[in-house]
Amino acid sequence: MADHADTLAVEFRNIDKAFYGVKANDNVNFELRRGEVHALLGENGAGKSTLCSILAGLYRPDAGEFLYEGKPTVFKTPKDALAAGVGMVYQHFRLVSNLTVAENLALGHPKLGIRISQSELEEEARQLGDEYGLPVDPSARVWQLSVGEQQRVEILKLLYRNAKVLILDEPTAVLTPQEAQQLFKTMRQMAEEGRSVIFVSHKLHEVKQVSDRVTVLRQGTTVGGADTADAEPRDLARMMVGRDLELPTRDENLDIGGPMLTVDSLRVDGDRGLEAVRGVTFEVNAGEVLGICGVSGNGQRELAYGLVGLRIPTSGTVHLDGEDVTNLTVADRIDKGFAYVPQSRLGMGLAPGLTTEDNLGLKAYRKPPYSNGPMLAAGVFKEKGGQWITEYDIRGVRPGLPIRLLSGGNLQKALLAREVELQPKALIARSPTRGLDVGATEAVRNLVLAERAKGTAVLLISEDLDELLALSDRVLVLYEGQVAGRMPADEATPERLGLLMAGQKEEAI
Amino acid sequence: MTTRRFIVEPRGLASARLTLAVPLIAVLLALVVGAVFLAVTGNNPWDVYVKMADTSFGSSRGISETLISATPLILTGVAAAVAFKMLVWNIGAEGQFLMGAVFAAGLGIALGDGTPSALAIPLVIIAGAIGGAFWASISAVPKVYLGTNEIITTLMLNFIALNFMNYLIFGSSSPWRDPLVPQFPSGRPIPESARIPEFFNRLDYGFIIAALLAVLAWFLISKTKWGFEVRVVGDSADTARYAGISVPRKFLGVFLMSGAFAGLAGSLYVAGPVGALDPRSLDLGLGFTGIIVAALARLNPVAVIPVAILMGALNNAGPALQSIQIPAATVTMLQGAILIFAVAGEFFIANRVRKPEKKPAGAPAAEGAGAA
Amino acid sequence: MNESTLILTLFAAIGLGTPLVFGTIGEIITERAGNLNLGVQGMMLVGAVAGFWATYNTESLLLGVIIAMIAGSLFSVIHAFASVTLRVSQIVSGLALTIFGTGLSSFLGEAGSEPLVGEPSKATFEPILEGGLADIPVIGPLIFGHDILVYISWLTVAAASFYLFRTRMGLSLRAVGEDPASAESAGVNVSRVRYIHIMIGGALSGIAGAYYSLALVPTWQNEPIGAAGWIAIALVILASWRPWRALFAAYLFGAAERVQFTLQTMGEPWSNVPSSLLAMLPFILAIIAMIVLTSGKRARFLGAPAALGLPYFREQR
Repeated sequence: MADHADTLAVEFRNIDKAFYGVKANDNVNFELRRGEVHALLGENGAGKSTLCSILAGLYRPDAGEFLYEGKPTVFKTPKDALAAGVGMVYQHFRLVSNLTVAENLALGHPKLGIRISQSELEEEARQLGDEYGLPVDPSARVWQLSVGEQQRVEILKLLYRNAKVLILDEPTAVLTPQEAQQLFKTMRQMAEEGRSVIFVSHKLHEVKQVSDRVTVLRQGTTVGGADTADAEPRDLARMMVGRDLELPTRDENLDIGGPMLTVDSLRVDGDRGLEAVRGVTFEVNAGEVLGICGVSGNGQRELAYGLVGLRIPTSGTVHLDGEDVTNLTVADRIDKGFAYVPQSRLGMGLAPGLTTEDNLGLKAYRKPPYSNGPMLAAGVFKEKGGQWITEYDIRGVRPGLPIRLLSGGNLQKALLAREVELQPKALIARSPTRGLDVGATEAVRNLVLAERAKGTAVLLISEDLDELLALSDRVLVLYEGQVAGRMPADEATPERLGLLMAGQKEEAI
Repeated sequence: MTTRRFIVEPRGLASARLTLAVPLIAVLLALVVGAVFLAVTGNNPWDVYVKMADTSFGSSRGISETLISATPLILTGVAAAVAFKMLVWNIGAEGQFLMGAVFAAGLGIALGDGTPSALAIPLVIIAGAIGGAFWASISAVPKVYLGTNEIITTLMLNFIALNFMNYLIFGSSSPWRDPLVPQFPSGRPIPESARIPEFFNRLDYGFIIAALLAVLAWFLISKTKWGFEVRVVGDSADTARYAGISVPRKFLGVFLMSGAFAGLAGSLYVAGPVGALDPRSLDLGLGFTGIIVAALARLNPVAVIPVAILMGALNNAGPALQSIQIPAATVTMLQGAILIFAVAGEFFIANRVRKPEKKPAGAPAAEGAGAA
Repeated sequence: MNESTLILTLFAAIGLGTPLVFGTIGEIITERAGNLNLGVQGMMLVGAVAGFWATYNTESLLLGVIIAMIAGSLFSVIHAFASVTLRVSQIVSGLALTIFGTGLSSFLGEAGSEPLVGEPSKATFEPILEGGLADIPVIGPLIFGHDILVYISWLTVAAASFYLFRTRMGLSLRAVGEDPASAESAGVNVSRVRYIHIMIGGALSGIAGAYYSLALVPTWQNEPIGAAGWIAIALVILASWRPWRALFAAYLFGAAERVQFTLQTMGEPWSNVPSSLLAMLPFILAIIAMIVLTSGKRARFLGAPAALGLPYFREQR
């Protein structure tokens, strides 16, 4: 590959971008050549997504210079970026779920005539899918597709517009290891056609496997870059984290107690009335972490809802410490000793517009000292809240300000502080470190492990296999609402779990 | 690369000065817009505004009339404020107000002259609350249990209530209608014993009661356990469910409370200055004006009191304008403009708009690519 | 009720339903873009006074309708600016538009040295397509002999349906209403799409208003449209955001309005029913229909745009 300026597809110089006064990108420099797969490596919160969103025209930088194909350029909107040939597959897919696959491909396409024909659109979509080995049913509505299929639609959308630069933001996070391998093949194929692919990841082995070059971001700024072939994973890791860091893992020498949370033949309905959890049985012992893995949308959410009472199971039972709680309300289950860390912190776990202190009292407010009869004890909220803010190192809290202004890590610490302070018998946590930076991930992992050490039964539901294996004593795989396999964490490997997550039967189980 | 012309950032907590300044600016801008329309139609805006101020604040009688006009607005304002804060879109204060008036007048007439005031007055006032809450429940129950859009149903119920009141007075010989003047349909006066006494010109204690009720609403929302739950539901229904709070029950409670407040506006008006179910005195759009009051008070039940006085002053000035050949609709136009500016002002209270900072010297200039 | 009374009632229902057709189609287009505009009543009133004023001064019905459209459309920009650019609550912003529009139209009708109030219009719409095919039983007298705006309303329904479901702009519009973030990343300018369709909604509401002041009651009076703006908003839901259903729903409500006049002509005992009770009919019909059609599981099949009522902020994190 010749190293001339004219082979550069994209060049960023000294890019700054702040959100609400917090710098997400600070003096970032980045070069992308034509026909390469370029990995953008960094921890959560390092500014990778922000940089990509700037390139895709979604955000506009506060300052800095951007050259596209050698020319200074401004992408004011994603439309500008797409017109120039830059497209992005976001972590959270940007597909209109009520429209068909074909309509999603056509949406916003500048070359379409005024009148559009469904059947012609579908035919085109089918052909393109065949050409690139990305088969999907073009007349299906997006909500009917699996996560992997939706990702294919996203990539097809970019190919349909003949994008020259494709940005894939953490594309493997939603895939099984086997599906990821298939995606890597497609990425290499696209690079060979002369397209440039930006591969955003924080997983070193994937970066090493698929990319030509790598740029590392840390705390919003570029800290280095290299040809992938020359880069030592260890050096990349240090660059990425800034220090040698071992994230906490479970202590294997702790004793595990008897059954605390027992689930028998549980069935729970999903949003669209279809059964999402289809007869799941397991138990979690006191002082044990049971990890639940599976591709997103295989019943994890409904399982959690069924356990904490947000959805009453259609059949089966849930016992906590020997007591049947299957039909209790959420409030009663909180009383009995359930704590829950939902996937979406601001969507469900916290009231975004209320203060941090109010949020910390959100589960204890029903009883003294938080309230006396019908009256609220504002002083207790302040006092207890202040105490926990110090104890759990929740930063950025200012009196009277809504909690939503805190960073993701501090939100999660606040949420966990509240749940842990309930002294629960069972803690159910969904993807508790998703989107957090290294420091916050460490703090959250420590909190979860401390609960395990205290003898709480911990159910950890996550799509991050590395984390699941680091924290869990045992692992259980959910596939289409059923248990596809279970094993001690020592015997689990990402490959083995991946096969189960994809619905392959394993004979030995 | 062009740097951006403006950067918009949420403020988090707005300063007290700003939350006071924005509504005041909204009122000023509305007066400017009103002045433009007045001038275009050949009037002298200054004269009009002076006339309005003089009518409403220029004499002790004017002031008492202003406070009389403000009394129902305090309560319809609180009705909208508590509902909107919880994202209960009760647009039906108008109808709930009228049904409160119907209930209050009905009970007053039924009690007759014999009931002592100490009993009759509270009963009549409470009847209004029940009437308003009942009317709100027709929207609230389907909303909570079936998911029926409350914006539409509360609106439709406004028109049904209005026609119902008209039916009682104009279309039938109901007990609400005054039998003494059959050729000129009007409301039958409620007995003196059920009327709230006056203390300052024509101003009655209803004004004091309304102000106290507004404070009570604030207390319920900010100091009680119920209020805490309601605030959580209003902020995020999913979080409330997650914390074990019954969302439908809270929703229903707020909805009925909102309706009760609007109904209280009706009963205080009937038991106070109006004294009968008189459609001409009641069909003034006081429910809708309550929405303006709530928006300008930024949904704070206590701030509703001064804002209601301002709107009451405008309402009070309307009829006087006609004496100088200015349309009474000037007042409605001004109130509408105030609402628009108050609503737009929310953006400036919630966000800070600033120019982007200049890059420090030595960094590459942003202008380089600016032309592209 | 004999046959000719029935036909007369239905014929009148089409006339009374026509402004509802315009208003409902306009609001369907606005809401399909994800914006709830509760300002329909205000936009109609502004259109009504502007259209009346233009015709009053030019004696041209065409100019009256055009000015009404422009006025409704410009007036709707207030809501677009507040709810799209400033991202304030669409509900409150729309209510503000209605309250301001109501006051403004009354004010403009009464203000000045020669107020419009009480003045008859200088021109009114006449029936067209009379005779000939109108002899076809039942259908003939229903379809022929309306004024031109009735036929334009039919064309508007057909055009709106084609636009929404068969064109590139319609696809963008629906995508913005369902999922603005996805639409934006596919290259659709969300703000522009919302502005344009709020303004189209405003223009159609403007025609609706002018239909009252120039065709149905061609004399200027305060608030000549009754509660039509609010009814139109209810009709959007009852028509489940689909133009052809809106046409029939509007005529149903036209018929409900007409019933009170029909009963008056039918003699005792029908004419004894108090008009204030009959005037409730459209509103009661709307509430019952709302509860029956939109409750529980049925609501999911109605097809409300998923992002309806939500402000969109691209850099929201």
